[in-house]
Amino acid sequence: MTRRQKAIAFFVTLCVLLVAAAVSLNIGWVFINSRSLAPLVLGVISFALIIAGLIVYTVFLVLEIKRNEDHDTFINAVTHELKTPIASMRLYLQTLQSRDIDEQRRQEFYAIMLADADRLHHTVDQVLAAGASGQKAKAVIRSPIDASALARDCVRLALARHHLDAGAITLDTPADGPTVNGDAEQLATVVTNLLDNAVKYSAGNVRVAVSVAVPAPDTVWIRVQDRGMGIAPKQLKRIFKRFYRVQARDLRNIKGTGLGLYIVRSIARAHNGRVFAQSEGLGRGATFTLELPRLATDAVTPAEGQADADASHPEVVK
Amino acid sequence: MSRVLIVEDEQHIADGLRFNLEAEGHDAMVAPDGESALRMLLVERQPVDVLILDIMLPGKDGFTVASELRAAGEYVPTLMLTARGSAEDVLRGFEAGADDYLPKPFELSILIARVNGLLRRRRWNEHDPPGSSGTSDTPAPDVYTFAGRTLDFTAMQVHAHDKSHRLTVMECDLLRYLVKNANQPVSRRAILQEVWGLPEGVDTRAIDNFIVRLRRYIEDGPAAPKFLQTVRGVGYRFVPRP
Ligand SMILES: Nc1ncnc2c1ncn2[C@@H]1O[C@H](COP(=O)(O)OP(=O)(O)OP(=O)(O)O)[C@@H](O)[C@H]1O
Ligand SMILES: [Mg+2]
Repeated sequence: MTRRQKAIAFFVTLCVLLVAAAVSLNIGWVFINSRSLAPLVLGVISFALIIAGLIVYTVFLVLEIKRNEDHDTFINAVTHELKTPIASMRLYLQTLQSRDIDEQRRQEFYAIMLADADRLHHTVDQVLAAGASGQKAKAVIRSPIDASALARDCVRLALARHHLDAGAITLDTPADGPTVNGDAEQLATVVTNLLDNAVKYSAGNVRVAVSVAVPAPDTVWIRVQDRGMGIAPKQLKRIFKRFYRVQARDLRNIKGTGLGLYIVRSIARAHNGRVFAQSEGLGRGATFTLELPRLATDAVTPAEGQADADASHPEVVK
Repeated sequence: MSRVLIVEDEQHIADGLRFNLEAEGHDAMVAPDGESALRMLLVERQPVDVLILDIMLPGKDGFTVASELRAAGEYVPTLMLTARGSAEDVLRGFEAGADDYLPKPFELSILIARVNGLLRRRRWNEHDPPGSSGTSDTPAPDVYTFAGRTLDFTAMQVHAHDKSHRLTVMECDLLRYLVKNANQPVSRRAILQEVWGLPEGVDTRAIDNFIVRLRRYIEDGPAAPKFLQTVRGVGYRFVPRP
């Protein structure tokens, strides 16, 4: 039991004891005043108020303790991810400053520092994205987006960022890109996070398949499938929690904030969609599916003039 | 040549430290996690003169590694690196048996100075002054005797009756401070600030754990301390002749 859990257990027990005491006092009061109505009613009401107050107070206390705990996890997870690259960059800068270093080493050090700067940049981006995605759905500025084009852009960027050759990430989209209604930047953040994970948790053997599909007339799927380390069945839901990272021996050297999938889920929900993970088990790859409501295509591309099944309930484009 | 073991899972930092320590003429090794560090020290019995130990490690964290080493009787001088850098962490590190700490990000020159400081202590411990030049920095033995007990600050040991205990640098510093202020009450705050250079407002319970440990070394009945007394509401008092 952690200190927090102990504190919660303590306050809940205290509350139960106090409520029990109040109830027995109340019963006593009822006995004593069983003849006269006024003190009886007043007494029962005030005891009820005391009990309700105790319960409300305890609930708030426990919520506050929980909130503190969340805050601590945040501080720990983010501190490490922020300070480590800074510590590394400072170490190399001071090394370059204070020692004679041959040209080859020097280049090595520059490359290391650049990688650290990228990692820092990534963490800052994730924290900002997590903050932004926590906001209400109405803050999403929507516009029609071609899901295939979105996926294509993200794949291209991911290939460049991870220095992969074109075959490492394949893309499979229907000829007419289905349209979704959303914030292009946020949706790109989702696909990018899924692609980053697919690459990151592939243990070097990067064979990722991205597909855009229309499984039902009013639904669009963007799937990212990898053949990497896979996910144990009981982790499939948890990995979407804020800061949650799977603790396993072969994952130790893969760094991250644990924010990626939380961001993905928040953005998906804000778009009235959802995201889910599937995996046949450890070592057997994983598939992440982003499911979004499809926007009537004729609302965007009237030129094609396709009246789809979902044209019957068109959305307003703001 | 001294051997330094770096326990650090962040490869960039580990490599950078190794490069620098090698440039300083040390022999540096890297362990990527606590388990492999424990294996190298306790199973393979690799000779190591100083341990640089990161706290946030995958699997066993730095605190656990340090206390398991002490529990197994391995007293290699240990410098802890902490990213959170809170005073609570520092105290926990000392409790676990670390000798010194540096917050991350650290100053390279300071890190090297601290490592060299620990290496110097190590050499005094082993009564093995380094070659010709090193004799000058070997201090005169610094020993304090009371009631049949000997505190050897140079060798960092306590001898009580026929038993000896190794002390960490932090324990040594605390004992020295108590001895200097013998017969006077010493507040917990003074211990935090003057002995360990920690800010105010730190949970002072960690000090109590230190005192419990010191009592185990010097008292006959640690439950009824005679030499290291508790002064209620203030702190502690060292009384050499109760
Ligand atoms: N494609 C995948 N294959 C296997 N495991 C995955 C995959 N994607 C995510 N995971 C697991 O889910 C956990 C949470 O992922 P998430 O993206 O939220 O955080 P992260 O990748 O650790 O950090 P960040 O994305 O912020 O850098 C990871 O620790 C990883 O174990
Ligand atoms: Mg991720």
